[in-house]
Amino acid sequence: MELIIIPVVAALLSIFTKGNRWINTILAAAGLGVLLLKFGPSNMDYQSGQWVSIVDVPWLSDVVHFHLGLDGISYFLLLLTNILLPLIVFSVNDHRKPSLVPLALVMQAGLNGVFMAKDGLMFYLFWELAMIPIYFITLIYAERDNFVTTVRFFIYTFIGSLGMLASLIYLYTKTPDASFAFESLMSINLGYTESIWVGAGFLLAFAVKIPLFPFHTWQPNTYTYAPAQGSMLLSGIMLKMGLYGLIRWYMPLAGESIPYYQPIIITLAVIGIVYGALIAMRQEDMKRLVAYSSLSHVGLIAAGIMTMTETGLNGALLQMFVHGVNVVGLFMAIDLIQQTYRGRHFAELGGLAKVNRWFTILFFLIIIGTAAAPLTNGFPGEFMLLKSIFDYDTTYVVFAGLTIILCAVYMLRMFQFSMLGEAQEDNKPMALINTLPLVVIAVLVIVVGIFPQWFIEIFEPAVKNILTTISNTKGVMS
Amino acid sequence: MIAISMIFLGSIALMFAGINAEEKKVKPFFTALLALSGIFAFLESKGIMAFDELFVWVPKHMVDFDAFGLQMVGVLSILAAIIINLMPAANRKGADILALMAFSLCGGILMIGAKHLVVLFLGIEVLSIPLFVLAGSDKDNISGNEAALKYFLMGAFSSAIFLLGAAFLYGGSAVMTYQEMFLRLSFSEHFGDFPVLMKAGMILVMVGLLFKVSAVPFHFWSPDVYEGSPNRVTSFMAVIVKIAGFVALAYFMKAFLPMLEWTSNWLLPISAITILGGNIAAFAQKSFKRMLAYSSISHAGYLLLFALTSMQNMSVLGTYLLAYGLSTALLFYLFDKYANGDKNGFEIFTGLTFTNRTDTIALVVATLSIAGIPGTIGFIGKYQLFSTAFGPQFWGVMIALLGSIISIGYYFKPFKYAFRTESDTPNQWNWSWGSFCSVVISSVILALGLFPYLLSLYF
Repeated sequence: MELIIIPVVAALLSIFTKGNRWINTILAAAGLGVLLLKFGPSNMDYQSGQWVSIVDVPWLSDVVHFHLGLDGISYFLLLLTNILLPLIVFSVNDHRKPSLVPLALVMQAGLNGVFMAKDGLMFYLFWELAMIPIYFITLIYAERDNFVTTVRFFIYTFIGSLGMLASLIYLYTKTPDASFAFESLMSINLGYTESIWVGAGFLLAFAVKIPLFPFHTWQPNTYTYAPAQGSMLLSGIMLKMGLYGLIRWYMPLAGESIPYYQPIIITLAVIGIVYGALIAMRQEDMKRLVAYSSLSHVGLIAAGIMTMTETGLNGALLQMFVHGVNVVGLFMAIDLIQQTYRGRHFAELGGLAKVNRWFTILFFLIIIGTAAAPLTNGFPGEFMLLKSIFDYDTTYVVFAGLTIILCAVYMLRMFQFSMLGEAQEDNKPMALINTLPLVVIAVLVIVVGIFPQWFIEIFEPAVKNILTTISNTKGVMS
Repeated sequence: MIAISMIFLGSIALMFAGINAEEKKVKPFFTALLALSGIFAFLESKGIMAFDELFVWVPKHMVDFDAFGLQMVGVLSILAAIIINLMPAANRKGADILALMAFSLCGGILMIGAKHLVVLFLGIEVLSIPLFVLAGSDKDNISGNEAALKYFLMGAFSSAIFLLGAAFLYGGSAVMTYQEMFLRLSFSEHFGDFPVLMKAGMILVMVGLLFKVSAVPFHFWSPDVYEGSPNRVTSFMAVIVKIAGFVALAYFMKAFLPMLEWTSNWLLPISAITILGGNIAAFAQKSFKRMLAYSSISHAGYLLLFALTSMQNMSVLGTYLLAYGLSTALLFYLFDKYANGDKNGFEIFTGLTFTNRTDTIALVVATLSIAGIPGTIGFIGKYQLFSTAFGPQFWGVMIALLGSIISIGYYFKPFKYAFRTESDTPNQWNWSWGSFCSVVISSVILALGLFPYLLSLYF
């Protein structure tokens, strides 16, 4: 409950802070404080793997309840959201963007709600509530007049959401006790055909949001033209909503359709991995490059989830966190480069390493983290994901494994063209204070890389629990 | 009954009292009158106040307000008060325009209470005749005159069809009240089929009503009439007429519930083409006002879906109509404020966020609500309506979802202009009376959307 209210209050307060980045960051960090102090592992039992209810009050007659719950998976993703939000808010250093921070904080409330909702309609509600602020962020502060891009982005995701809503209402009409509660929705035994339709509704919403290969067309333009903070919110946290939805809502609720959709999604995801990487290699615009690389990375995560193995899910969750942290770091670094040097195309850059020693080190750490070098945070997750895909089908892993090589190619290419090479004459060093969030991210890159088990422990029992529930109630073997 | 009597008598009194006063001087009294009658209606619906003894002379089988009817009377009166207050008063003497609106509202209330075909007809006429005058109330405007004539001819035409249908129904069943009609139909259903006269009469009466709520293909008059009439009158038509029309239609359909399966055969396609036609045509509009006209047509399509269910829970209809009324009234207010002569496209909102923040809030909230985005009452209305219709009219709901997607494309068009500007004018909070009302209404829309439990206190 606090995790919803505090960001909303913070959003209202942040209207009056006159753009002071320190106060804004403290407001954004309030959510993290509550999360750690009130719902930290010492206060909540995440080792049982159960999804514990924390609030349950009627919201709309008796059908829809304001019902929130927490388990390891929710906690882990809440941790991601609430760690990244202060960093993103800190990176706003433009007084001409007065609505950006309040909107980002409202979005924080929506995202927190998505990761905790235990009632079907609440999930839908928060899903859309997280969507509206980001729509306005991308619309108002876009780099150019891009109404068409944002409206396409909104309509794409809205179509997906309505598919999910239709599926939820269909399940609701089948529940014996006329309720949207997760347990009631899950207890229904669907026939094969109807499960495919219900699953299609859910998958449409999640595939657009993730985005999976043919549903990704909204993504590159939206990322490129959105303000830097918008791209961070979208790629760092918002994508995770789709992946989380796959694990939490699609698989338990429409589990009967998994045998049908498993090969389809894994194939699409693997196509997306290779396709995204190949296109990223050809990009000259750093933001667009990261957009396509993101497509490639989330494809791997989606494939890992759909293998339905414990390794796959553990790897996927860890990688969701890691990808969120890294991609926010990349967008932040690109934003800093763009602010200081008036451009983010390779042609306009070069030799930045000579004047920015610390920034270069941090940027490089994030890049090798993204490229999954051992002992950085990208490695353990990708390894587990590839292992799970290997177990599923050896052919796929040949293509999926390309991600590591190709990622190194385009990431290092980006580093080379921007940081190394001939220095331009008027290059000046960037303000050190702006690189502060990158320090936090670089620390996470190393800590997660060296001690992945610390993080895996949080959600491992919950993953086990979900897999057992699915195989018990829906008869799907993992 | 108390509401209709208060509004009718009060309006006559105010019309005479305000014959020589500026219109804005009499506006507060009209507002108070409407609000008070709305509150009385609501209190009566909850059983807190009773006026039965005053109205023993009213035949109960012809005019009767049940709890839901009274609540809708409350909604109508409050919305009428809101519309009167949002828009600036005309710069002329006399209270006749406000009085005509109030008389028209009396007709709407009568339609809601109608339990008899003749009373329903009476209600439609009382609702419409003042509107014919109001549509042409801006005498110098040529398109206003066109609107008035068009509206009058179409209204007369649809009334004739309605009357023919009513005659058929009477011929087929020898009764005129809903209750007896329902009994006859249940009886016929028991024996397998309905009399042909009943079917024909039902179709004709429905056509008459569909004209009033402007469902496709009976909608051709509405965009022209909406565009030509003064903004205040258009807002009144889009909100009050539609709400009264739909509540009356729902009660009428309830009397014909035994025929539901047969009715669905031809009413579901009408609903579907209304949704698609309204949305697609709205998408193509250049003028904001015409867009709103087509949007109100598409909403008629969604609402028809509800009329094709068993209508157990009427509060679903009430919520939807309340949401529709609030957001439409707000959008008309914004249009009225920023449109200027020939400038009536979406570009009227250029740089709104830089010139007037209060109105930007109203624009964003009203748009999100009318598009049915969560967090607003519009979502609650749409969700309840779609989930009610999901079982009985599955394909209808699918088309409605498709329509909602199309509607995003045109509802969001003002945003293209509102947030982009080259002007350097500083941000301003602007607190005129209209802006104040609009912010209050926006807060109500948000509050009811986030805490829909509040709705169950009303309905």
